[in-house]
This record gives sequence, C-alpha cells and structure tokens, in this order.
Amino acid sequence: MPSSRRSPETTPVVVACCRTAIGRADSQRGQFRNVRGDELAAAVVAAVVERSGVDPVTIDDVVVGATQQRGELGGNVARSIGLLAGLPLTTAATSVNRLCGSSLQALAQACHAIAAGAENVQVAAGVEHMEHLPMDSDLDIHPRAFAGSSRGVLSMGLTAEHLASSRGIARRRQEEYALESHRRAAAATAAGQFATEIIPVPGLDPQGTFMLADRDQSIRADTSLEAMADLPPAFLPKVGSVTAATSAPLSDGAAAMLVMSEAEARRQGCPLLARVLATAVVGLPPAVMGLGPVPASRKALARAGLSQADIDLIELNEAFAAQTLACLDDLGFDAEQVNLRGGSLALGHPLGASGARIATTLLHTMQDRQATLGLATMCIGMGQGIAVVFEAVG
Amino acid sequence: MPESLASFTTLTVEHLPAGITVVSLAVPGHAQNVMTEGFLWDLGQLLDAFDREPPRGVVFQSARPGSFCAGADVERLERLGDLPESEVAALCARGRRLLDRLSGPAWPSVAVIDGVCLGGGLELALACDLRVATTSSRTSLGAPEVKLGLLPGWGGTVRLPRLIGPGPAIELIVTGEPVNGTRAATLGLVDACVPPETATASAVALLEQTLATNDFQTRRQRQAAPVVIDETEREFLEATSAALILGRTGGHYPAPLTALDAVLRGCDLPAAEAAAGETAAFVQLTRSPVARQLVRVFLLGERNRRDSGTGDPPAADVAVGAGQRPAVVGAGIMGAGIVARHLRSGITTTLVDIDPETLARSVPGILAEAAWDRHTQASDPQRAVQLAGMLRASTDRAAIAGADFVIESVIERTDLKRQVLAEIEATVAASAIICTNTSTNPIATLAAALTDPSRFCGMHFFNPVRRMKLVEVIRGPATSDATVAAVVAHAKRLGKYPVVVQDSPGFLVNRVLTPYLHEAVELLREGIDPARIDRLARRFGMPLGPLELYDMVGLDTAFYAGLVMASAIGERIESSPVIPALVKAGRLGRKTGSGFYRYRGRGHDARLETVDERLADALEPYRLPDRSLRDADITDRLFLPMLLEALLVLDEGIVRDGRDIDLAVIHALGFPAFRGGLLAWGDSLGATEVLTRLARLADLGPRMVPPPRLRDHAASGRPFVPES
Repeated sequence: MPSSRRSPETTPVVVACCRTAIGRADSQRGQFRNVRGDELAAAVVAAVVERSGVDPVTIDDVVVGATQQRGELGGNVARSIGLLAGLPLTTAATSVNRLCGSSLQALAQACHAIAAGAENVQVAAGVEHMEHLPMDSDLDIHPRAFAGSSRGVLSMGLTAEHLASSRGIARRRQEEYALESHRRAAAATAAGQFATEIIPVPGLDPQGTFMLADRDQSIRADTSLEAMADLPPAFLPKVGSVTAATSAPLSDGAAAMLVMSEAEARRQGCPLLARVLATAVVGLPPAVMGLGPVPASRKALARAGLSQADIDLIELNEAFAAQTLACLDDLGFDAEQVNLRGGSLALGHPLGASGARIATTLLHTMQDRQATLGLATMCIGMGQGIAVVFEAVG
Repeated sequence: MPESLASFTTLTVEHLPAGITVVSLAVPGHAQNVMTEGFLWDLGQLLDAFDREPPRGVVFQSARPGSFCAGADVERLERLGDLPESEVAALCARGRRLLDRLSGPAWPSVAVIDGVCLGGGLELALACDLRVATTSSRTSLGAPEVKLGLLPGWGGTVRLPRLIGPGPAIELIVTGEPVNGTRAATLGLVDACVPPETATASAVALLEQTLATNDFQTRRQRQAAPVVIDETEREFLEATSAALILGRTGGHYPAPLTALDAVLRGCDLPAAEAAAGETAAFVQLTRSPVARQLVRVFLLGERNRRDSGTGDPPAADVAVGAGQRPAVVGAGIMGAGIVARHLRSGITTTLVDIDPETLARSVPGILAEAAWDRHTQASDPQRAVQLAGMLRASTDRAAIAGADFVIESVIERTDLKRQVLAEIEATVAASAIICTNTSTNPIATLAAALTDPSRFCGMHFFNPVRRMKLVEVIRGPATSDATVAAVVAHAKRLGKYPVVVQDSPGFLVNRVLTPYLHEAVELLREGIDPARIDRLARRFGMPLGPLELYDMVGLDTAFYAGLVMASAIGERIESSPVIPALVKAGRLGRKTGSGFYRYRGRGHDARLETVDERLADALEPYRLPDRSLRDADITDRLFLPMLLEALLVLDEGIVRDGRDIDLAVIHALGFPAFRGGLLAWGDSLGATEVLTRLARLADLGPRMVPPPRLRDHAASGRPFVPES
C-alpha cells in the first residue's frame, strides 16, 4: 500500500481516535468491574464518530477486535457495539481476532478495504474485559496444533522467560525497564498528555462509589526497584526472572479509530491526523512470539519504502519487559523514540484493545511533537507479529 | 463362528472369516494383565507362528474387562538395580525386539485398548500400526515409569514423539499422568475412540482400511525416521520443561530430566539409534538408588492393598460388608473432608451436625471438593449437582439410624466425643461399625462410653483429607478383628492406605513427628536461623520445614498434641517452653498471621513474608548456649530422632510391620518417597553409621541415646525394614 503511488481516493487516513482509561481486571477494585466490555467499546465508537464530524450515514462498516468473543463480547459483538453506539442501522459490522494484535488488525483491514476501493468510511476498534472474560477460560486448543512444539508456548509468560534466559536479559534490567515505563506513564498523566486521547466513561472507585474513570488504573507512580525485587517469579516458580512487575497487568478497556480515504475526509471536512502507509503481519515460532515486532516492523517499513532511520516515534506494545527489550535490542531502536508516554507494563494491556490503544497514543504523541513518521507494532501469542506505519498529514 | 486355532496360557488366538487374526490377552494369577515371563514367551511363540504363516492383519486385545495391559511386573523392576548393566540392557533390547515384531513385514496390526494401558502395555500398543481406545471410564493410557524413577524402556521414548509430536510426548512421559480414550484420540495417540461394544469391529474396519490404502507402510517410515522439529521450538521445549521439572522435583528425582533428554536426543536420530540411547538412559536410571526406593514405595502400596489389617487374607471383594450406608457425624473441616472423599468414591453418605449453620456452611464446600476436576483445576458444577443427590445432610442425629458405618468427627473434646459416641451407639443397629476420627484421644477412653466396644475403632484421617492418603486405623483394647477388617476395607474403598496401629499416645504418625518438631525448636534455641532449619528439611525432601509446619498446624494445636505425647516420650523428650510462650503471646501461626514466621493475610491465603523479627526476643528467655553446626549436623539432628522414635514404635509393637511406618510417613507427612520412607532411609545409612552419628550428638542427652534395637541391628547387620 505505498502511499506515493496511490490516489487520495484509495489512501487511508485516520481522522479521529480515542480510548477509555484502562482499568485493572480486578473483581474487587477494577474501575470497570461493573461495566460490560461492549459498553466500553460503544463509548469509544460513539466518541470517534462525534469527534471526527463525519456524517454517520456514510459509515460503511465497524471492525472490532477482541480476543475473547463470547459472553458479553460474543455473537459478532461489533454489530452490538455499533447499535449500542447509535450508529445507523445501515452501517455494517464485523468482529476480528488476531489475539493481542486484534484491533491493529481491525485498523489494517479497514485500510486494506479503502485501498481496494471497497468499504470506505469505517470505525476500527478494539475491546477487552479480562476480568469478565478471563483469557484462559473456555479454552480448548487442539494439542496436535503444538505437536511440534509444546503446550508451554500457550503460556506467554513462559515465552518471555525463554527470551530472558536465552538472551541473558537479567531480572534487574527488566525491572529497570518496567520502572521507566511507570515513570513515563505517571509523568504523562500528571502533565495531562492523555487528556485528549482518553474519553471519560462511568465506572466505580475501589470503594464502589460512582465515578467518571479518566485515569489508567495500573500506573504506579510510587513503585521502586526495591519493591519489584521482592516479587516472586510469576511463571517459573523459584528459578524464573519474569514477575508481575515485568508483565503487563490484566486489564479492561477499549479504543477506537475512524478511518476513510483521504479524498472522503477532505469532502466531509474531517481532520486529517495521519495516513496509513503500510501494514504487515508475520508468523514466527510460537516459543519466541515476543519477537513478533521485529520481522513485522521490517516488513511494514519495506512496504512503505522506508528505513528504520526514517521513523520518528514508535509504540511497541509492552507485553513483558523481557520481550520488549529483546525487540528493542534486535531492532536497534533508541529508547528515546519508543513508548515516550509509558507502555502497557504501566498503562495496562487490555489484549484486543491494545492495538488501537498504542496507535491512538502514537498519533497523539506525533501530533504533540510534530513528528512525521510513526510505527505501531505488537507481539501476538502463538507466534505472530503485526506492524502499521503512519505518516502525519502535513 | 471363529475357531480357536492355538492355545497359550496367556493368549487366545482366533481367526475371523476375513483373514484377520484376533489375539486376546489374559494373564492368569494377576489382578491386571501384566507382562510376565510367561506372557513374553507366549507372545514370542505366537509371532514365530505368524512368521511361518503370515496373517492378513492382527487385532491385539484383552480378554479381561477393564485391563488391556498394565505393563511390567513391578516386582521384577525392584531387582533391576541388582543386575549388571549389560543384563539390564539385554532385557531392554529383548523387549524391544519382541515388540518390533508386532507388526509384520506385510501384515498390519491394531491394538484394542479397553481398560488400563500403562507402561509396557502402552509400549505394546504403540508397537502396533494402529490403535483403537474405548470410551469406557476404565480406559487409561499412560507412561508412569518416571513415578518409579525409570523411563519407558521398550521403545516408548522413541515411538511416542514420532506418533504424537515431541511436546505432547514429553508431557506424557515426564509427568507420568495417564489420559482417557477421548483425550488419547485428540492427541493422536490412538486412531479412534469408540464404545467398548464396537471396539473389535472398529479395529477390523481400521485394518481393512489400512490394507486397502497400504498407508501402514507410510506410517512405519515416519515412525522409523528422525522427528522434524523447529530449532527454536526445541530450545524452548527443552528449557521450559527442564525448568518446570526442576521446580517440581527440587532436583531429587533424576528420572524426569533423564527422560526429557532421552526423548529430545532421540528425536534427531533414526528410530533404531534412538532406541539404543533410550536403553542407555534406562540403564543409567536403574543405577540410581532413587529408582529402587520408588519401586519399593510402589510395592509398599501394593502390599497395603493386599493387607486385611488383621493378618487374615482379605475378603475377596471389599465392596461387600459394612460401609454400604456410611454416615459422618460432625461437619467441621475434617468431617467435611471425609464426606467429600466418600462422594468422590461414589458412596452415598449421610452427614449430621446438630448446628444448622455449620451444616449449611459445609455442604457447598463438600460438593465443590467432591466434584473437583484435576484436569481443569476447577470444580465441575454439573458433577456437583449429581453428587448433591448422594449427600444426605441433616441436623437430626436420628438420620444416621439406618447407617452401617459411622465416623464420628466432632471437635477434639473428650467429654463431647464420649457423649456423641454413646448417642450414636444408641441410634444405630447393633451390627453397625462405629469409628472416631481423632488424633489425640486414647481409643480406650472413648470406648469406655460404649456398651459394645468391640465394634468401635479409631479412624484417623489426615488434613487435608483430599491430599493425604494415609488413614490410621487404631485398635482399642476391645476392638474385634472383624471391626478392624471392616474399617480397613472401608478406608481402601475411599482410596486411602489404612495402617493398623495400637492405641497409644500420638498413635504412629504424630508420635514419630514429635521428636522432629521438638528438635527444630531446640536448634532455634541454640541460635540457628529458622529459615536455615526449614531450608535444610526441604532440601532433605520434606514438603515443608518443621517450623513452617508448626505455623500451618497452629502452635496451640501442636502444644495440645505435645501434652498428649508426654506420657510416651516425656522421659526422653522434654516439652519445649518456647511453644507455650508463643501461644501465650497469641502467635499461633498462619491463623493469626504470625508464628515463627510473619504472614501477609491469615489462614488459608496467608503468604509467608519473612521470619518474624520478634522471634529473637521471644526466644531470649529460653536461649541455650550457641552451637556452630554444619548443615549435615542440622539434618541429622532433625531426622535421626525420628528414626529412633520409629524403632521404639516397632519395639512397642504399635505397628505390625516396619513397612507400615515407611508407608505412613510418606502418605501422612510427605516424607520423601525417593528415600523410601523413614526406616528405609535409616537402612540407606546403615545401623552402624547411625550409631556413629548419634555418638557425636550424645551430649544432647536422653533423646539421642540409641535404643537397644539399634545396637542389635548394628551387631547383626540386619536391615531395619524388609525390602518390600
């Protein structure tokens, strides 16, 4: 999809994006423990439509990513979300699943439709409620799918342990990385840098009092290396190096982006945030799923006709500190380009929502810093990676 | 009609009209089909006959319901350590050669697995071209060799990864856990899972299909070749499996890691070379004392199953006799656990507690525990609903009127127990068995409350009932043999190991535990760090250190139990002043958030944080002169007094056989199975070495004085306990 060769009619642009604050998936204290996942998603979908100024009847499709499509997120939840958000009955809807890459996938395939001259105005969103729909319940993956590997690859934590031990990423280095993620997230929150991207939605405070949730709940401004050093290994008893502090917290949240062709955006007078220059997905051995961003980023950059040096800002989803560090080591990214407002280790990782969340944070950071080129990329369980390249519309 | 053409002692052979030969296994003289010499000889003869006159295809099945083949005769495994390496290797090679012939050059074979298919039995099935399992609840396929400190030695580590992939194969071999027929089909371990009635017909259909397509030849090529595995996935598999094994075994059990290594090495090689590697690994494991002890422990369990508890041969069928209509009185933690165990064993049970609140509180927990699904690690709600129909809960003692077996499990207050027992006796039929679940009350004292103490007996379950397999069956002075036999049989129905002991303070388990707990506190008083004491006990192989155990049991409970024991051991082992001091300070262990250690949270969810910093102050008034001790000294101090106590227990005739002590400490205290039990551990040191070590501890006083029995053993060189 290199943009240089494409006409404005088939060039996808993001015209609005936003997210909920991210809640802890905690039945006692989680700020969204009383809110259904589909309601969170409907709130962000309605918000992007309103923010963009788009004429709702022109919206062709709603594409929603979620990893646990059952219960309150079951039965083509994208359709319920569209209806809950008050979109016209003529707007179609589909639900997609590429595990943690689900809502980046939603964005990617919406852009592909635009490039193909198919559906044009679309909402790409993602949602996860890890408290209401735990990721490992009702799961019965065929054991023969892993005949050539092992069931251990279904534990993302074990794959992170493996990267840590096979690459000598010490526990202390993981903790220093996680600490910096919290420091950045706390600083960005204090400076109001998330104020534009977060739309407040109703929730509960820990005591059970109604509140408008507008802050990410997992950020620990007061954490320290000493506090982290006390934690036991989370996945490999006694011998492991990955702990709760160096793994992304279980989370509830939603994010949405509105995309359409550049020509349509200009016709409707919508703001032009960024073009989507290229997307890419890759497969790799499940045991090293955490390295997914490495080949995915390279593939997407090559498709955009860009090199790594051209990229100003990067959002790389922090599933685990060990996994993020392994990717940064391989890609040679400078820490001052990556996750400037903190990453999922601090903000939380509502699986299906995280792709649209990192893209939303990336576009807001690019705008604030007047950056030109940005990259959003994630690792995906069972061995995949996904990446999307954005270009600010000057 | 098919006609029997050949006859063997362990096999029958029939020819079906279509030219398919059906071989049915039935090994006489064993509860299960096991691979006896006779069976192997018969099989060799049969395969010779097939060489001379090849069949079109062969079905291997069992003529015995519920048992395909349970593998090697375990009593033969116990002697492997005594054989020279070359002889063990030759045994492996001979077995493999025999199994290799289960599929002929031109004829395919299929195994019909209806019932238990374990170890060598699984290897036999794997050696066939195809497998059909049945949906029967008795069907289970597994490679339990690691549980005996060994690995599959007849080609299992070679065939399994080629058939189902290295990851799933390692899981089966390294955990030793079996799978049912449905799961086996999903794994690809069997080619179909069908109802038992259609199993033979399905096997014949599979044979016809493979004969028509010749695909058994393709399968054989795949089984002979190395396994293709992505290098990254292999590294991950090896690293994570090794780390998980080490976490679980603490490095005490060599078999799982050796098996992991054998499977992975074998993947890179053609099957024939991989098999040679398997044999080398198998031989290596038979050299380890761990394998010998694990086989011994397995045989201790088998011995227990055959033991009626009275010296008489066991009744032919334990399902008959008292215990058809059991009732439990008292719905506390123990009573609830006992009832849950009954429901799990499929036994309809009455539960009575006069307090409606206690009763109502206990029922959901009982059902949840009884419906626990090991595989999903969760309670199965549907099963819980079914089990609810088997639980009759009542606040009215009259509800036990129809019971033929009553277990009283009210709180440990002698007067209350006596009153409840008298009421039970007045309510049930004169033939009913009455038991008390107690850890501290003398059976004689409780029996005095009954008009007919001959049908009364102690039945001491251990907490948590779901996990601890031991039950002490305590004979009172008047308990009849028939009562003991009935209680033993009932405990076996519950899947427990019953050990019959004489009525005496602490019975067996708490008696041998006491010196160990006591010594841990003495070490503390001598300035040894509590965490070090517990670490060394765990390194020895205990699941918990003694001070952690104190905190878990509760220091008040331990104090009370210690008082009871004083009459038996008080002359040698003074009760420690430290425990009452901590109890007085309200530091009772996990239940109060603090004991020897400090905990975050209380009770079940309490998480150990650190040694309680106030401990040093609490110990101050009771400090003994500091001793500087090596790790080995501390281990000796903890475990040698236990061994001495066990020898005294034998002297006093509290158990009938030393093997009961070994079985009991393993299944009630988690004493390390790889050491074979307390007395077997003593034997691994030898009586003379024990004396030498005790001499170094002589200044500690009477508790380290060798009992006469120890000197006798040192003089005669006889072991403390027979092998199995």
